[in-house]
Amino acid sequence: MTITHHPTDETLMRYAAGTIGAGPAIVVGAHVSACPHCAEAVRTFEALGGAILEQTEPTALSADALAKTLARIDAEGKREASGDNHSQPIVIDGVRLPDTLKGCEIRRWRWIGPGIHMSRVGVPHDPEANLILLKVGPGRALPDHGHVGTELTYIVSGSYTDALGQFTPGDIADVDEHVEHQPIVDRDGECICLAAVEGKMRFNSLIGRMLQPIFGI
Amino acid sequence: MTNREEGESLYLTAEVLEKLLVAVATRQDRDAFGSLFGHFGPRIKTFFRRGGMSPEMAEELVQETMLRVWRKASHYDPGRAAVSTWIFTIARNLRIDFNRRQRDPSLLPSDPVDVPPSIEDELLAAERDENVRLALAKLSPEQQAIIRLSYYIEKSQTEIASELGIPLGTVKSRIRLAMNRLRAVLDEDQ
Repeated sequence: MTITHHPTDETLMRYAAGTIGAGPAIVVGAHVSACPHCAEAVRTFEALGGAILEQTEPTALSADALAKTLARIDAEGKREASGDNHSQPIVIDGVRLPDTLKGCEIRRWRWIGPGIHMSRVGVPHDPEANLILLKVGPGRALPDHGHVGTELTYIVSGSYTDALGQFTPGDIADVDEHVEHQPIVDRDGECICLAAVEGKMRFNSLIGRMLQPIFGI
Repeated sequence: MTNREEGESLYLTAEVLEKLLVAVATRQDRDAFGSLFGHFGPRIKTFFRRGGMSPEMAEELVQETMLRVWRKASHYDPGRAAVSTWIFTIARNLRIDFNRRQRDPSLLPSDPVDVPPSIEDELLAAERDENVRLALAKLSPEQQAIIRLSYYIEKSQTEIASELGIPLGTVKSRIRLAMNRLRAVLDEDQ
């Protein structure tokens, strides 16, 4: 996997800070798992979080806070935190999806236009997360749209090209609302990508307008 | 740390914090735990309060954070991260979990979530900590403030702009300048 497109530092910082939102965190996490360069950046931004916590001025706790915590420690004994759950990889159309989607509800593809299928991903406990899987046929354009907030798109399989260059598996497109982009899937195969938008999407084309009710906008 | 204020006896250096946490991990040392609690508890409370959490909830989650520090102390690896960074990630994950429960009250508290993957470190933790402290200190007060806000609150730039009562363009340029300066300082040390 040759990765050429990365999230912005600001996106990586908010991911490390835990303030990015559930949908975008899944998309960024997919890239960070595949990209040692960005994983290192995330560790740096976590260290920045540690420095910020260290410099945060203290607020007095109630007088018995420590005693209460010690009582809870006594009550439960020394218990190890539960381990990771190693569940099966998620596969769709023979393509393995990022592990960051574990726990999400992956629904069936819906046809939304010639050569374009979409599946809105159910993010646990965040019904408002705008997270979608898109499957677009060779040579087809992704739905034409602008967006109000940032949009993050992770390439799962296949590739597309737009004004920003070619995007292949592992790449992420991190674009804000000023970018009106028109990705076209490369001719050698279909492209599956995972996209999260912060804020509402606005669609310009007919197919885009057909998408709006699916997004519930 | 030198030159600390008279009477501010609770300030502990990174080395001391590390020794305390190791004592909790290896000997279940309650005095060491009490010192860690005294140092981090009040800071974590501010951290949660800045994100808009009620005082009661913040207090509750401070206890929960420190309970996890006790339970997971043996997983702490001094070579990977400073104690403050490790505790920050625990508090961060609990806040993510808390925010999800706010949206879906039927959800029970769990061991969270989204811990970024562990891959071999390229930098020594101590070196990285030193770098980020230097980098943060070199930012202007406005830039520092907006970076801190990114750690405290889950808000878009538009929401931050209305919160601070400044134009969106100003928020964007402040964040961009802050990120560029951070990146420049971090890169020059490698």
